Amino acid sequence: MTDTLTSEQNETGSGSLLYELRGVTRTYSKGSVAVNALRGVDLSIKRGEMVVLEGPSGSGKSTLLQLLGALDTPTSGQITFAGRSLEHESDQVLTDIRSKEIGFVFQQFNLIPTLSADDNVAIAMIPREPSREKRSARAEELLTQVGLAHRLGHLPSRLSGGEQQRVAIARALANRPEVIIADEPTGNLDSENAREFMTLLHDLHERSGVSIIIATHDEDVALSAERRIRMRDGSIVSDAQN
Amino acid sequence: MWSNRLIAVIGKGTELFSLSYAWNELRRRAGRTIVTAIGLAAGVGLVMGIIGVSQGLSDAQTKALSPLGSVGTSIIVTRTVAPTLSTATTTTTTFGGFGGGSGGGGFGGGGGGTFAGGGTNGGGFFRGGGAASLNSKDSTALDNANSSIITDLAKLGPAGTKFTHDFFVPGTLITFPSNAVSDVAKVKGVTSAVGALSLDALHESGTVPKITASVKTGGQTISATVKPPVLTAKQQQTERSCIQSVIEKRFGTGGTTTGGTGTGGTPPTGGTGTGGGTTVPSGGFRFIGSSSAINKCLTPAQKAYQQNVVVPEQTVNEVLNPPTTNTKTSTYTVAGLNPSNTTSGLVTKANLVKGTWLSTNPTTVKSQVLVTTAYATQEGLKVDQTLTINSINYKIVGLVNPTLTGDVSDIYFSLSNLQTLSSNQSRVNEVLVSVANAKDVSAVATAIKKELPGATVLTAKSLADQVTGSLSNAKKLANDLGGALAVVVLLAAFLIAGLLTLSSVSKRVREIGSLRAIGWSRGRVVRQIIAETLGIGVLGGVVGVGIGVIICLIIGAVGPALSVTSTGLAVGASNVSGLLHQATSSSVATTVHLTAPIRWFTIVIAFVGALLGGLIAGAVGGWRAARMSPSSALRDLG
Repeated sequence: MTDTLTSEQNETGSGSLLYELRGVTRTYSKGSVAVNALRGVDLSIKRGEMVVLEGPSGSGKSTLLQLLGALDTPTSGQITFAGRSLEHESDQVLTDIRSKEIGFVFQQFNLIPTLSADDNVAIAMIPREPSREKRSARAEELLTQVGLAHRLGHLPSRLSGGEQQRVAIARALANRPEVIIADEPTGNLDSENAREFMTLLHDLHERSGVSIIIATHDEDVALSAERRIRMRDGSIVSDAQN
Repeated sequence: MWSNRLIAVIGKGTELFSLSYAWNELRRRAGRTIVTAIGLAAGVGLVMGIIGVSQGLSDAQTKALSPLGSVGTSIIVTRTVAPTLSTATTTTTTFGGFGGGSGGGGFGGGGGGTFAGGGTNGGGFFRGGGAASLNSKDSTALDNANSSIITDLAKLGPAGTKFTHDFFVPGTLITFPSNAVSDVAKVKGVTSAVGALSLDALHESGTVPKITASVKTGGQTISATVKPPVLTAKQQQTERSCIQSVIEKRFGTGGTTTGGTGTGGTPPTGGTGTGGGTTVPSGGFRFIGSSSAINKCLTPAQKAYQQNVVVPEQTVNEVLNPPTTNTKTSTYTVAGLNPSNTTSGLVTKANLVKGTWLSTNPTTVKSQVLVTTAYATQEGLKVDQTLTINSINYKIVGLVNPTLTGDVSDIYFSLSNLQTLSSNQSRVNEVLVSVANAKDVSAVATAIKKELPGATVLTAKSLADQVTGSLSNAKKLANDLGGALAVVVLLAAFLIAGLLTLSSVSKRVREIGSLRAIGWSRGRVVRQIIAETLGIGVLGGVVGVGIGVIICLIIGAVGPALSVTSTGLAVGASNVSGLLHQATSSSVATTVHLTAPIRWFTIVIAFVGALLGGLIAGAVGGWRAARMSPSSALRDLG
């Protein structure tokens, strides 16, 4: 699980800026009420960093995560990813960036329920890899490396929570991304699985140097990261190295 | 596994969508797949049934009206009488009636009489006074032909003797010279023209009635007071000219007449004879035919005179009406066809159900007939049995089954045989026309009408227009509503599939959001959903075709009966039936059973309809999915 997992760029660009956010706000309308989910956030994240976003519900961490994951664009401010401005990009461009550069792990796992483990990993490669054989081979390789070689053909319904989350990691790594964005990845796992998951994530981080950004309530997860960013009411209240 | 291998083969290089994803989606969400597919299947199955019924009605109508087609005929040319004849005169003609009268043959015979005869254009053959009416000559001839039966009975023997005889009358189909057939054959687009003769036959048996009475008239002495007419020179000239024109009209130019002198000379003598050609001694007027024409020329003064005149004696034969007879009459219909025409004619070899066709040997065929199965059943006749008509024996060589609205004659002779039998030598009353291309039928029919003004030209379409009964009602209903119903049913199926897909997509918000998050574009997501619904469409199409086949088979098995009534060619209706106080039906009815045939294009339509339904459902679902932003999709789930 070394250079096959991650972008070649990562090795040469390690330490350079991956994200730069300047005065980023995000406002939603809930009926007639405007909700300021993010209020003027300034943030820089280097390549290869492992960052944790902490804060209570409504703090804006999920919103920030979505902006970092190019799932959304800010209402105002600037956001740069790998030297590229994202704030005015079209959905198509953002989708393209996501397929190539960003991997996701969700709290609910979000695997396709009708696809087996290997197909769930392979499906992430469809926009990028036309060869079915290559997709299959890589999916098998990734699942082997997360310890699920014996579960290739299993549907998510036949996998434990921990196994599903490992499939999610394998899927996130399928396109050799620059960064993995994890939104409460241990939220649905018991403590043992949570520990195993975090061990896996760290292992990934150390061996490949992939940037990892995790939003979490879990103190244990927060403690294991290099950098902790605390948020409250849509603003960053602290940003410290562990 | 075979399915994975199939997907690998189909999906190779096809990256518009993921076939394995679609397959797994349909396979593992089987409930939704089956329900949506059944919705589509029901719709296309019903549409197949509707199309099948419509096809079945067309087939039934074609079968009912197929006589024209089955006898290789596209057009039938006849000359029928309009319901209201122009006035026929009561003058008896100079020719005899049927059965070899002195006029040289029956109705239309070449006796050189006062009607449209063979050869020369006497003004009647298809060139009468208007499209549907006869000129006075032909109408007289028709009436006389049909009515001369009564006088003909006298030829069968002395009054009081027993007789059996068959008379042949043309009914409302007037005969015309056979060269009309070649006239029709020359019309552009005609591939063949075959002449035929269709007649009513009246089988009479009984005692020869006293149908004529000889009445002696005349011999009276009539006393009159004479006022000698005094005519001015001008009156004389006018009167002379008038009389001259009457004579010319009657006998052509060159006739002579003596005019009244008006100088107080010998009063004119005159006779008042009726009948043909009573003459008086020269020196007076010749009263020709009816005196009314000459009378019109006289001045009022001349008309009022009294004179002692002796009316010459004469004997007049008058027809008694009604005849005093105990004659029993039964009717049947006969037709003459050319045995060489086995594929085009009143009946064809294709209509032969038992026995053999008529011989082409002119000698052999003289003693042969074909009989329809219906008539054979009615009369208890069989192949090889003998029929005797007017003392001639005819062998029944075969049974035929002509179809509805075609010629429904009971017995078929060879044409030349019937022409001789009915004293219609070289005459026919139908021309059966084949046209090269079905689409040219209307144009050829119009051309024939131009070539032969006064002809009645029937095409299959005009026969179809006459068809009534539950079949035509059902066909009309199918035409008017069938298409609309099929569209409504399909739209309903599309709506069901669309709504189900919409519901399914709404439940897959998280899944679609995840796909978008991991890099699937909107277009790819939409294509994937359409691929899934097309798969459902394929399944719906296969099941729908199955349902449609079952519906059509059930309809065919039940086979509801439909009635068909047509006025046909009105051979049976004629003035004869009125004279003999018998009703002769001019309409023909039959029953056909409805089927719902399954044609290849019906299956194609059904399958394409199901695919279209899948496509529409996919478009609807895809539109819903495309509107989902990945962030909102994921945010909803916390």
